Amino acid sequence: MRPDDRKYTKSHEWVKLDGDTIKIGITDFAVTELCSGNEGDLVYCDLPEPGRELDAGETFGEIESVKAVADLNTPLAGTVAEVNVAIEEHLEILSRDPFNDGWMIKITPKSKSLDVDGLMDAAAYEELLAAKEA
Amino acid sequence: MEVWRLLRTWSGAPGYNMALDEALLLGSARPTLRLYTWEPEALSLGYFQRARDVPNLERAHAAVRRLTGGGAIHHAHELTFSITAPLEHPLYAGEVRGSYERVHAAIADALATFGVHAELRGTSALQSDREGTGMCFEHSTDLDLAWSGAKGVGSAQRRTKGRVLHHGSIKLDRSPLDASVAAIRDVAPSATLEQVAERLLASFASRFGVEFETAEPSKAEGARASERTSHFTSNAFVHRR
Repeated sequence: MRPDDRKYTKSHEWVKLDGDTIKIGITDFAVTELCSGNEGDLVYCDLPEPGRELDAGETFGEIESVKAVADLNTPLAGTVAEVNVAIEEHLEILSRDPFNDGWMIKITPKSKSLDVDGLMDAAAYEELLAAKEA
Repeated sequence: MEVWRLLRTWSGAPGYNMALDEALLLGSARPTLRLYTWEPEALSLGYFQRARDVPNLERAHAAVRRLTGGGAIHHAHELTFSITAPLEHPLYAGEVRGSYERVHAAIADALATFGVHAELRGTSALQSDREGTGMCFEHSTDLDLAWSGAKGVGSAQRRTKGRVLHHGSIKLDRSPLDASVAAIRDVAPSATLEQVAERLLASFASRFGVEFETAEPSKAEGARASERTSHFTSNAFVHRR
């Protein structure tokens, strides 16, 4: 079971309230899709500068594995407050701890509510993944 | 049986080639296979490559940057393909690795009809691998198709907004800027680009259980590609890193 203290998107990002900000990252499923368990297959991650304003659904960064470049999307609007720069130098963090140390950005959201269309709780996200694997 | 669009766009300008792939990625939901060539020959950088890491960039007569990752490719004496499809399509659903295995298996089938025994590289590096060139065909991975100790097919993907663009290069021959590739004509000297294209179509149809409907880009795709052509050759994009 993935952590139930946050919400998930169908494109495999997670969002979690963190004081006045919201942390955003990607799930273990997203990481596995990109690198099949070979943490060395993740080669580059491009994250935004603090201060950038993001609309809901906007691409905030990009991640490259040996074989694919994929967008990173925010489901919530806000301003980038902080970026986890450690990831850009140590991509293995994403494989080892995607839900904690692997957070990517914190945004100061326009609305702090996570009750937004398209966001799923952990149980619904698990069902989505189970359906994919069926 | 599923029907894919088939676009054949021969001798496309480098910027247009990349812009049309982008338009297809953002365009029709229907799976599309595009087969194309380049005029003039051009070097493409991977999306995240640093220009200074590719010494051949200075020797190339034309250059673009791709939307996909990986190393630089000199697009000469090759059949270039792109597949655009929804990420939920059975060909692309699941791990990236599996999609490469499926597509490369179909390409290997087509190459086998020329007597080329292309196989996934696996765990061992190739004789043709070299450090410091930034060239795709001199930096192999386990999923690349190789024969005669060198890489002969290079491909890469972009995944965005629930869609995938998978494009790749199938080498008929070497070029001065891609001198260490495995080439179909090493095994089948009289092989033509048209033959490779037709056998690839037959192999895809057989492997994936699809039919092809020859088409042109839609008006919207064509307009978007024309609008974006200069972006892919612009100094700002080619030298963005």
